[in-house]
Amino acid sequence: MIPLLILSPLILLAALGAVWKARPVHAALLLALALAMVAVLYLTVGAEFIGLVQFMVYVGGVAILIVFALLITRPGDEAAEVARRPSSLVMGLACVAPVLGMLLYAISKGLPVEAAEGANPKLPVEALGRELFENSVPAVLAVGVLLTAVLIGAALFAREPANKPEPPASR
Amino acid sequence: MRVPALIALLMGAFSTLGLAEATRQPLLTGESLPRLPQRLVEMGLQAVKAPDWLVSLGGFATAAATVVGVFLTAFALLSLIERKTLARAQNRLGPNRAGIFGILQPVADGIKMLTKEDIVPTKAEWFLHLLAPVLIVIPSILALGVIPYGREWLPVPLELGLVFFFAVGTMTEVAVFIAGWASGSKFPMLGAMRAISQMISYELPLIISALSVVMLSGTLSLSGIVAAQGGYHLGFIPAWNILTPWGFVAGVVFLIAANAESNRCPFDLPEGESEIVAGHMTEYSGFKYALFFMGEYLGLFAISGLGITLFLGGWQPPLPGLGFVPSWIWFFGKLAVVIFFFLWVRTTFPRIRIDQLMRFAWLCMIPIALLTVPVAALWQYSGKGALSWLLCSAILAIPFIIITVIFNRRLAPSIRQYHFAE
Repeated sequence: MIPLLILSPLILLAALGAVWKARPVHAALLLALALAMVAVLYLTVGAEFIGLVQFMVYVGGVAILIVFALLITRPGDEAAEVARRPSSLVMGLACVAPVLGMLLYAISKGLPVEAAEGANPKLPVEALGRELFENSVPAVLAVGVLLTAVLIGAALFAREPANKPEPPASR
Repeated sequence: MRVPALIALLMGAFSTLGLAEATRQPLLTGESLPRLPQRLVEMGLQAVKAPDWLVSLGGFATAAATVVGVFLTAFALLSLIERKTLARAQNRLGPNRAGIFGILQPVADGIKMLTKEDIVPTKAEWFLHLLAPVLIVIPSILALGVIPYGREWLPVPLELGLVFFFAVGTMTEVAVFIAGWASGSKFPMLGAMRAISQMISYELPLIISALSVVMLSGTLSLSGIVAAQGGYHLGFIPAWNILTPWGFVAGVVFLIAANAESNRCPFDLPEGESEIVAGHMTEYSGFKYALFFMGEYLGLFAISGLGITLFLGGWQPPLPGLGFVPSWIWFFGKLAVVIFFFLWVRTTFPRIRIDQLMRFAWLCMIPIALLTVPVAALWQYSGKGALSWLLCSAILAIPFIIITVIFNRRLAPSIRQYHFAE
């Protein structure tokens, strides 16, 4: 309980900072910080595998990709300007609303008391793996197909146009 | 007269044996030597009736301090050995002024680094500029904590050691980005872009080649992976993963990817000094610069240690009769060999170009690494005999040859045509 009380305000602050900061790189780094602290939160409740995977996927993967995209595109102040447009606000709310709704619904259903109190939620990795790859195989496969589609789409976007004029200096 | 003396002697011997049996663990054996500081601290804390959490905390802190101390010493030594080795390869002497054979050179370097002026560029963001070198050392030290160095020397026995290793390793990328961006300068930025793209690309073959080991060992704990490589085939061939067809290929992929992950020559593009000054470290000086090097070398130790754990049998001795030598000596012997190999590669190969680097990762390393996973499964279910040796080797060799031929014919870098600089 104590780690939760310490960490959750910090996570909130970092997340708010990620939203409010005008410079995109600061926002991205604060987002990485918030995600890393969520991973620490998982570790403190004994969900070691989830915590480490959260760290690996979100801090090492997602945050780095965001940062890398920023590095390549170098958005200047116009990014902050885009963020202030009303249409951006509507888009953001449209993205947030379903997640918030789901969260509120889950909270309104209430936590299972006996799970929150006392019981050690430690889950062996083997049980997690069996659940994923024996009982939930269709979901895993669907996610795999989705990611492959995304990868192919990204490769299509990144492909150089065929009839590009030759740059003068080097090949 | 003699008989009572004899009885007394026997009783004394028996009571000594009984005492040894009761305490079970003698304080100092060769095997447990590295854990001596930890146990001394724990015993001292218990002697003053400290609460249990304090005892375990003190023990852990001492264990961590032991690992950090050992590897910082190794870092200092390596910085000298590397310069000496490079000098030998280039037919010169290397550092030879400070002490015999330049043995005091690391001390001199340390003093130089500490007393240098610490420059923060005016366009830099001072906090992030300060944060980056700290963030680059932390994951390396954390990663060193989960590696089993010996039968009894395992600083943090973690169930998910391998996942932990890779998870903290990703922090390095964030640190490199922060370093490059916070310096507020062009060269660090370019260096950070190169470094991150290189690390992302080579992390994939690194993790995939570790995957097959995890699959066959059936555990993510590093000590479990070492234990799975115990024993000998035919009485003298150690059952290390590197000595199986899939393990050999995965091990070589791991070695190359580890070399690239730790930004060492020939993959030292992020800090290629003849191209972009020093990459993300350009705007750093003094001790912050030294911290980058410390992080890099500690990371090299960590990733070599992981490679030894995964493929070279960790602390397992190479021959059956050698169990009497403390196991951590075997680990550090293997570490020395692997590190020397890295030095050798550094002296031998020239730096490659960024497009060659990416092409090599995505078109050569990742397909071959992916192939080791099904081949490892085949190895497991085909009996591990002579026939499965042939089968697995053939399955691995044929795509390798095809990829190499394609690579050489179509994708190999052609000679550049310079239009202006002729």
